[in-house]
Parts: sequence; structure tokens; C-alpha cells
Amino acid sequence: MSFSTYKTDKAGLQKFYEAIIGACSTYAPVEKFGKYDYQKVAGLAACNPDSPIGNTMSIKPLFFPKSAKILKYKADSSGTEVSETTADPLAEKRVILGVKHCDARGLQVLDHVYKWDFIDTDYETRRNNTIIVSTRCDKAGEQCFCTSLDYDVEKSDAFDVLIVNGDNGTIYVQARTEKGEGFLKEHAGNLAAADGGAEEAMKKQYKSFEDSFRLKMNYEEINGKMKDRYESDEFDKVSANCIGCNTCAFICPTCHCFKISDERIKDEGVRYKSYDSCNNGYFTLMAGGHNPRPVKYRRWRQRAMHKFVYYKERFGVNLCVGCGRCAISCPVNISIFEVVKQVAK
Amino acid sequence: MDYTKQIQDIAARLFSEGKIDVFVGYRSTGYDENQVPVIITDAGEVDKLVFNDRSVFNLVNYLKFEQTRNKRVGIVVKGCDSRALNLLLTESQVKRDNLYIIGIACEGVLGEDGRKAQNCLECVMPDAVVYDELLGTPSGKREYVVNADILEIAAKGLTERAAYFEDVFSSCIRCNACRHSCPLCYCAKCCIDQDSSALYNGSNTESSAFHALMTWSLHLAGRCVDCRNCEKACPSHLPLHLLHKQNEMVIYQNFQGHLSGLVPEERGAFYKYSLSDPDDFIM
Repeated sequence: MSFSTYKTDKAGLQKFYEAIIGACSTYAPVEKFGKYDYQKVAGLAACNPDSPIGNTMSIKPLFFPKSAKILKYKADSSGTEVSETTADPLAEKRVILGVKHCDARGLQVLDHVYKWDFIDTDYETRRNNTIIVSTRCDKAGEQCFCTSLDYDVEKSDAFDVLIVNGDNGTIYVQARTEKGEGFLKEHAGNLAAADGGAEEAMKKQYKSFEDSFRLKMNYEEINGKMKDRYESDEFDKVSANCIGCNTCAFICPTCHCFKISDERIKDEGVRYKSYDSCNNGYFTLMAGGHNPRPVKYRRWRQRAMHKFVYYKERFGVNLCVGCGRCAISCPVNISIFEVVKQVAK
Repeated sequence: MDYTKQIQDIAARLFSEGKIDVFVGYRSTGYDENQVPVIITDAGEVDKLVFNDRSVFNLVNYLKFEQTRNKRVGIVVKGCDSRALNLLLTESQVKRDNLYIIGIACEGVLGEDGRKAQNCLECVMPDAVVYDELLGTPSGKREYVVNADILEIAAKGLTERAAYFEDVFSSCIRCNACRHSCPLCYCAKCCIDQDSSALYNGSNTESSAFHALMTWSLHLAGRCVDCRNCEKACPSHLPLHLLHKQNEMVIYQNFQGHLSGLVPEERGAFYKYSLSDPDDFIM
């Protein structure tokens, strides 16, 4: 089905955002220590929905937080008592503004694993209760390669509402899902229905965006070749200067490994689910002391193969959305793009 | 400051004379002005090497990794890097005989904004203090200055300061990039990785970030050389230098102007005992 498209200008879009912030619980990129992070906002002045991709953390923490309480317990000689923690702060009905296309796609990728054999109800609730408003980038970042991966960035339905900067200050607002259509009906107030030229203008913007990419790859070729590269010496070479921190995984919009741990004082404790990473040397350490991935190249092999082979085989999608954040945040600029290109050469 | 040619020549010479097994230097990213560390094992690759005011990363960090362990290593060090190396030598982490050190009389490197980095402006020793070969003209030791940001923070009220640091700790994602990028963090098993530790282990909450970062910074008190590898590595852009510079100031003021790593073989402020150490804080 086709969804509604509206048009407005910069002032109109700001009004639209203000109205949303006034009416709904809204998250948007807020600057802190020189980078943007998605936080709850009370007004448009405090945030920047057009924050630069290279300097903005992903929206993953709003669905899979860095540390979430999963239960409380009390354990003493009389027995063990387990109870629910306080209500999930991320479960409320909410809107996220200024989401990047790649991050929204990241959620679609994560949906597969969260709805697989076990349904993560916390994730599902957060997902169902969220409206995603995504602005299409005008220019690709230095490390971006979203257009080279297995999803159609232009036609993406990973977000509910799309915002595109057209020519001469015209801004197009388009619903991309049923949820987005309903949301726009409710909040489109000051937006005018778009005329016939909208599709053309949005296409033109996409074309110029698509032409701005420095990085391009053929993901099918990579997927195919990577399958036979398990024993490749290249993993050792590409990981040579990796310093072994967890940054790439923690800031990745699709990495989803976690650990369970307790914070306990005397007889009472809280159990947490927190980020973990396969780049961490202790990640595969077993109770008996054996570690099947004791060296860096094996951990890097797991990371690259999981993203471009295992996940693809199991769920049909790559566990990478081409946002380039790993390369940007890596202390020594190792990029998953370079790694898989090198290994699949 | 551009020693690309000299470093390439030296590395080529060292490989051809069979004096080193690996060379740790910088290479260009290939797409922008920035550089990344590169570990070279083959003389044919020396033309990758570069060095100029974008050679930021402290390469001494690589001396703790497998690729360089028990090997003969050629390495490039700036002033701050060489201080870290001095400490590793003092702490018996590397063997001097295994190293061929190319020291740089550094003129300062550039920050992300393209201006000279703050730690370079405040640098007390821009020239390498330990080397086999020195490139550039030494400019000598400079006067210690208290970090401007420390003074600014100290001028704030307690509540405001507490709120500021709460913000810092709550923004930490516990990726440990700070620790992994620190040349002086080489413990085989770091205390913040202990499985049984209720303080640091597990959750990535504000409280665990507080304990992890504070413990880390105190383990570096009297050792940190202000290379700021940690701060540049932090994906959350946290002002980690505030922790280290505060420690450095306290130690400088209370331990006879001690600055770490300046003198070869000199032991750090916290692992030497002197009768003249202040003890008026002992109850």
C-alpha cells in the first residue's frame, strides 16, 4: 500500500518536532562531551535531530541498554525469594527523533535473534511501543557503507516516518509503515500534503546521497567468499594492531552479546544483563579454565564470520548495517569493512 | 615535524642488518590525514611508515602484545611515549636489549580539531628520554603547569562537581578501551576483570563505572605520563585526563615535584619510600 507524504520547510519541521515533543515521550540526540547520545528531551532546543552520523551513538541502548535490571532476589538460610525489579523505564510509549537509517535497520536485524527460539519480551515491548522518525542523511560519512549491504536504504521500512531534505529548503515527511501512517495522521497538524513532485525530489536527494559514498562493496561476493575463509591467515594480519577492547561491539547497532551478573549486598541482590563482547579475552573462558579463543585472531574471526556468514546463514541478513561506527570509535581505526574485504580477497 | 623518510630508512636498515624482528610505527589511514599504528615484520613494508604531527597514538602500548613479546622490536617514541617506555623498563616489563628505540624530539601533535593537543601544550618533556637514535632538535625540559581544566573544575562547588562526575560515570559504557589503550596497563588479569569482584564485575552501571575508573586511575597515579591514549580511545569522549591530571598534581605537590618516567630506572612515587615523604595525613 502507499503511504501519505507531506511537505513543509525547516520552520515547519521544527514545529512538527516541537508538537511531538509536547505530546509524546520523546528521545532525540543530545550533545554530551562532544558527541550525541539519544536521551529523553523536553524541548527541541536541548537536542539536534540532524546530528552528524560520525558523532552520534546508535539507538541500540534504547532497546538493549548497556545494563538492565532483570530481577531482584533475597537469599538467606530460610530460602530464596525472587521478585520483579522496578518497571522498565524503556517500556513506555515513545517517539525517537533523528534516528539514522542504519540504526533503524539495526533493529530489524536484531528482531530476528530476539524473536528466534525465545522471545525477549522486554525487547519486544520496547520495540512495539516506539515510533521511529528517521532523517535520511544528505551525505555519507567517511566510514559509511550502508548502501553496499543487503537492504534497500531508499525504500527501507525499518522506520515509521521518513524525513528527506528536498531542494530549496523543502522538506518531505513520509509514512513508511502502518504505525507511521497513523502517527502522522495524528501529528501532521501543520504539514501540507505533498504534490506530485515529491517522489521525484526524494529520488533526486537519494541519488546525490548515494553518489557521496567513499566505501563500496559487493556484499554477495563477501558473503560467498567468507564461507571458505575460516582457516585464512588474513585474520591474523587484519587483527594485528587490535588492542583488544570492547568498543566496536558496544557501540555497534547490531552486536547483541550480553553477560549476566549480580550486584549483591549481604542477602539481597540485583541481577543485571549487560553488554559483553566476543573481542573480550574472557568471553569464551569456560568454568574449567579452557578458552577456545585465547588469541586475538580467533576472536576477530568470530566477529567477522558472525557478521557476514553465520547470521546470514541462520537469519538471511547480515549482522552489519554499514554505519561505520566501529571504525570511527576504534582507538586504532580498524574497520569491519576493511577486515572482511581483506579476508574475502 | 616530518621524519617519514628518516624512519623508513632506519627501519629498512634495521631489518637488513637483522637487528629487529618487528617494527612498530605509524601508517596513514589512506583516506584522511589521520594515522594508525602499524606492526611491520617485513622489510618490504617499510614504505608504509610515516611520521608527522598526526602520529598521535602512544606505540609503547604495543609492547605488551603477543606480536612483540620476546622479540627484537624497533619502535618510534615521542617524549611522552618514551616516559611510558622508561616506566616499563623500570618495572621489568620489557628488556632494553630487545629494543631499538627511535626517539623523537617532539614538537607536539594535533588534536581532532586540528590544533595542537592540550597535553602537548602542557608537556613537560617533549624530547624522548630514552632512545638509540634521536630525530629532531631537543628543546629541553619545561616548567610543570597545573592543567587548566583541573583548576576550572576545582573552582566549582562540591555539588556541581559531583553532578559533573556523575554525568561522566553514567556516560561510561565499560568497553575498557581506556585500559586497553594504556601502555602502562599490562596486568595479565586486571582487577576490574576479576570474576568474583562484586565492585566491578558484570553490570555496566554508573556505580561499576565509578569503581572501575577510579581504581584504574589510582593504579596509574604517579605513573601516568599524560599521553592521553585513553581519552582518544574513549568512544563516549569522556574527559579522562581530569582523573589523571588531578593525581599528577597532588603527587607533584606532595612528592618533591615527582613526574613519572623522566629519569631512567627511577621508581614511581608510590613504589619508593623516602624518609622525607610527607606523613601529616596519617592519623
